[in-house]
Amino acid sequence: MSAATYSVHIRSGARTIVSTENYQVFQDEITFLFGESGIGKSMISKAVYGLLDPDELDVTVNAGPYASYLDGEPARQMRANSFFVFQEPSSHLNSLLKISDQLREGSLRLSTDEDAILGRLWQDSGAQAIRRLLDVFPKPYRPSGGEKQRVLLAMAFKKIDVLLRSVGAGAPSFFVFDEPTGSLDNRYRNLFLELLFEKYSLRPFTVMIITHDYSVISELYAKYGRLLPRIHLKELRRGEGTHVEVVDFSAQEYLSWLSAGIRRPPASGGPVLELGARFSVFGRQLCLYKDPAHSQPADLVIRKGEMAYVKAPSGVGKTTLAKAIMGLYPAQRLTMTLCGMRITEKTRAKVWDAEIWGKKAGMVFQHADESLNLAASVKETFAGLPLAEKLTPARLASALAELFENAVTDSFLRKKVAMLSGGQKQRLNLLRTIVLGTDLLILDEPLNGLDFLSVKKVLAILDAKRGQGSALLMISHNEEIFDHFVDKENVYYLAEVADENRSAE
Amino acid sequence: MFKQLIIKKDSRWLGIWLLGILAAGIWDNLFLNKPALRQVAAGFVNTFSIALLVVIFTLLLAWGVTLALHFLDAGKNKAPYLLLTFLLNLIRSIPQIVGILFGYVAVSVLVQAGFLRSEAVIFPLLAFCISLFVFIEFVDLMRERIAHYQKLDFYNAMRVCGIPEGRVINFDILWKNSRIHILNKLISVFGAAIFLQCSVDFIISVGLSTDVNSVTLPATMGSLLAKIDSKQDILAIGYALTHPGYVGNLFFEHLLGLSVAFLIVFSLMSIYHIANGYAERHRL
Repeated sequence: MSAATYSVHIRSGARTIVSTENYQVFQDEITFLFGESGIGKSMISKAVYGLLDPDELDVTVNAGPYASYLDGEPARQMRANSFFVFQEPSSHLNSLLKISDQLREGSLRLSTDEDAILGRLWQDSGAQAIRRLLDVFPKPYRPSGGEKQRVLLAMAFKKIDVLLRSVGAGAPSFFVFDEPTGSLDNRYRNLFLELLFEKYSLRPFTVMIITHDYSVISELYAKYGRLLPRIHLKELRRGEGTHVEVVDFSAQEYLSWLSAGIRRPPASGGPVLELGARFSVFGRQLCLYKDPAHSQPADLVIRKGEMAYVKAPSGVGKTTLAKAIMGLYPAQRLTMTLCGMRITEKTRAKVWDAEIWGKKAGMVFQHADESLNLAASVKETFAGLPLAEKLTPARLASALAELFENAVTDSFLRKKVAMLSGGQKQRLNLLRTIVLGTDLLILDEPLNGLDFLSVKKVLAILDAKRGQGSALLMISHNEEIFDHFVDKENVYYLAEVADENRSAE
Repeated sequence: MFKQLIIKKDSRWLGIWLLGILAAGIWDNLFLNKPALRQVAAGFVNTFSIALLVVIFTLLLAWGVTLALHFLDAGKNKAPYLLLTFLLNLIRSIPQIVGILFGYVAVSVLVQAGFLRSEAVIFPLLAFCISLFVFIEFVDLMRERIAHYQKLDFYNAMRVCGIPEGRVINFDILWKNSRIHILNKLISVFGAAIFLQCSVDFIISVGLSTDVNSVTLPATMGSLLAKIDSKQDILAIGYALTHPGYVGNLFFEHLLGLSVAFLIVFSLMSIYHIANGYAERHRL
């Protein structure tokens, strides 16, 4: 095993953005790099790959100027046999070029494996659907996020194919996959891993996978045990200020935490939320089921101290369900009882404002960046909440300490939200709603962007809220974790159904 | 720190403006006769005081009307909302200069009739006349900012936490996330107020009947420019263009008109650059 260790410092003007002394790249091996969102995983990886602009940022790699690093022979050789899959697929693709042309740009045209790669990544779609996709000019709304992500993965696999076919063994390579499965469900994520390890088994190359998806660990241990000696699990952790360090991530700790789970005895309190199985929003008929086969429609019932989990593929309407319950989306058909209040599609919007928001129910939105006032300070984020007791500085510090440990100083409270990392923003986003202590708490992707330590803490806090009698409605693509933390009888499956009236016609 | 001020275009132009005015003041003190100097000083102070009041009134009017429109729009009874929108559109349909001109005429009539005597009342009234015709674009800006944030999860995420709508609009959207846009617009309003005031004062002083004249209103840069002495001074600039040897005389013998013209043009140019620099610095 040969590992190159990089010291990377990135500054913008007088402000240090991030710095590390031990970013490791294991030659011809696979590294999974975890860590909370915004801590610097992508930026440091881009610096090492050679993607940052030395005119825009003041970067040093191994104490040397960035321009020299970029022009150095090792970095040039490495880039020649490498590929960087960006986190945001839309910004990676060129909207003025057909996808088929983008798949054959530059050295990618040397690959002869395109059909096989596309066939694997679009396993159920058939050749015709793939041909239609290749003919598309990418736009923000088409193809879908998941398809764009698979197009990028296909490009990376073509580059890997070129490396395996045309470049001699031992040549330096660096394939970086930045959140490669962020828009994919578990099935496609597993297809990606399968293809990657298949290629890797032909001949090893260097891979860095940046991800928040801890459930990938279970997949590795379940299916790719033989490759585990060549796989490194690392985590980027915050040190002092903007300094971060790469540490080992313990797979065993994650797996044992997962299998321990948190199981509470069945709740005996009355229902906090009862929602009719069928509802309609934006003209779409949606239905909740108790089984993945969608054969038993079921009302969503959450009692005091219960946690319910709604599952559905991306785009079906999980967030729509949450927003309809919170009265943010007008429903054409909806019947629910919330804390004894009967609510239908005819209920006037001001009822939510007067009686529900922040009093009976609260909701955590999935994108902390959009949900928080980035121009406000941490302290101001909690101002204006309808709390029973005034949030004194001491109470606020104690609430924040649950998720921010010893970071809660006066200067932290005065810090602008925009200056926090993605993970810190998400924790703030969660705490703002949790401190309300409402009877119902709806959480849309609550684990987004969190590191493992924070995931554990958030779930412990949510469990404590259950203990205090709150009812929780969970929406998350992180099925592995919630399957372990939610009782099977509280799992619901959401699906779109045909319009009954139209069917009758 | 000085270097930082120089690098920032808005700070640089603010410095240039203040230095320019200071230099003009020193020069006038040395070479302009005392009665004329007093007139220029009074005109300058009056013009800029009224412009400052315009900025304050515009902000208050715009903020109030924005909130009124927002909450009336959200309410069930749409009649007050439609009425307010109609009134705003009515004001919008009147050309700014025409509206302000009639406002000034009305104030002049009140002054002549003896209803208004103190400058403490006349100044705010003149400023209000100008504000009434410039505040609507400010309302548009604030409404756009609110609409932008309402489209994002930002607004709903705060509302479902029970944060009152008034706080979300006033504090989170307008104060925390729009104050840079608002300040930039206020700088432009300050420049526009000087320009409109000078234009209207000039028109009133030159072109209207003797019943309504500059004597009835406080001296401003516009009314000073309309004086026969100033006009001769301005004409002297044209003469100097064809007789370059006369240029030197402009700075000693034609100072009244030259000073007034310089203060107006230089201030407008500086304010334009300050607003632009501020917008560039904050990437608006």
